[in-house]
Amino acid sequence: MEPNYDDLLNMGTELGYQLMYSGAEIYRVEESVNRLLTAYGLQPQVFAIPNCLIVSLNTPSGHPITSMRRIPSHGTDIELLEACNDLCRRLCREVPPLEQAKERVRRLGEGHRAHPTWVLLMGYVVAAAFFAAFFGGNLRDMLSAGLCGLGVGLWILYLSKPLRVVGFFQTLIAAAIASLLALLLTDLRLGVNLNYITIGTLMVLVPGMALTNAMREIVNGDIISGINRTAEAILTAAAISLGVILSLAMGT
Amino acid sequence: MELLKALLLPCLWSFIACVGFGLVFNIHGFGVLICGFGGALGWLAYLLGQRLVGGDVIPAFFAAVIIAIYSEMMARVRRCPVTGYLQVALLPLVPGAGIYNAMRYCVDGQTDLFLSTLLHTFGVAAALAIGAMLSSTVLRILLPRLMAGKAAGTER
Repeated sequence: MEPNYDDLLNMGTELGYQLMYSGAEIYRVEESVNRLLTAYGLQPQVFAIPNCLIVSLNTPSGHPITSMRRIPSHGTDIELLEACNDLCRRLCREVPPLEQAKERVRRLGEGHRAHPTWVLLMGYVVAAAFFAAFFGGNLRDMLSAGLCGLGVGLWILYLSKPLRVVGFFQTLIAAAIASLLALLLTDLRLGVNLNYITIGTLMVLVPGMALTNAMREIVNGDIISGINRTAEAILTAAAISLGVILSLAMGT
Repeated sequence: MELLKALLLPCLWSFIACVGFGLVFNIHGFGVLICGFGGALGWLAYLLGQRLVGGDVIPAFFAAVIIAIYSEMMARVRRCPVTGYLQVALLPLVPGAGIYNAMRYCVDGQTDLFLSTLLHTFGVAAALAIGAMLSSTVLRILLPRLMAGKAAGTER
């Protein structure tokens, strides 16, 4: 029986979309979609850049079909990434009937474990506190950085989404909150070293990892993605420093 | 004792900080501890490298090599992609402070400092990226041969 190529293409694109959304690298997305569709006997062409995924294939009768998905801004979700990767590997190995495979791809998001929001908040607090210690702060600095991390976490996790502040301004305000709280806490004599507290808290925001990932993409040969991510990293850093300077100006 | 304090304490802090980050990245269960340990290991390698050769680009490269080897091993053991472990373990090393300082100089109007800090930051990021990719690639070629047929394929 002739398989339904539209469905196959949609399934491949959906898997690629989920992978991209979980923060996977470009080569992983391209290769996974390629493998999946190849396992179903097609020769797909896959092209991905950080906010766009294009999958194209020719049906055996020579008819070309293409699907394009735009990827919204997203964080990193390793659990989803592992689920996608695992599913892709299984589908490639077992090659189940199309209906079944489609169902499994569709269910990817559902059985997905996510930490409750308060655990994420704890993550922000712990990371900020211990990065402050890591940079040389003492116990009181750790405590204040933890509080700053709490403020940043509250903003990012609870407040910014309902207010629809995303991207540049989300980072800017988060940095302003971190810096303002750090100023306040050192003024209240809880924190000692303003610098360690600020930089420890900002570690949650700084795009160091984005820059490293960008370099990896470039080394890998995905130059467009690499440059895209580098620009993003510099923009984020600009937002952070603007936020910090804003609250320094307010604080003095 | 002094040496112990200078080397091990930062590693402990980076362990806990990485665990916190692991939670933010939605890593579950035992995986979080693996990330934390990777962070500690990487920082230890960085500190040792700094004692041996000084500077921070070469030690970063050295640490990235160690972290990538560790993460590839763990990814093989747990049979899941290496991305998460690698990214979280690299966190203490990534030049976040550098890029932040660079942009602060930029906003301040200190163009010389801005450019030199930015270029230095790119250098560190590139060292990390190349170190991690180099050892990943080498391991990917070697491991399947060592483990004879087990692992390989899409696993990485």
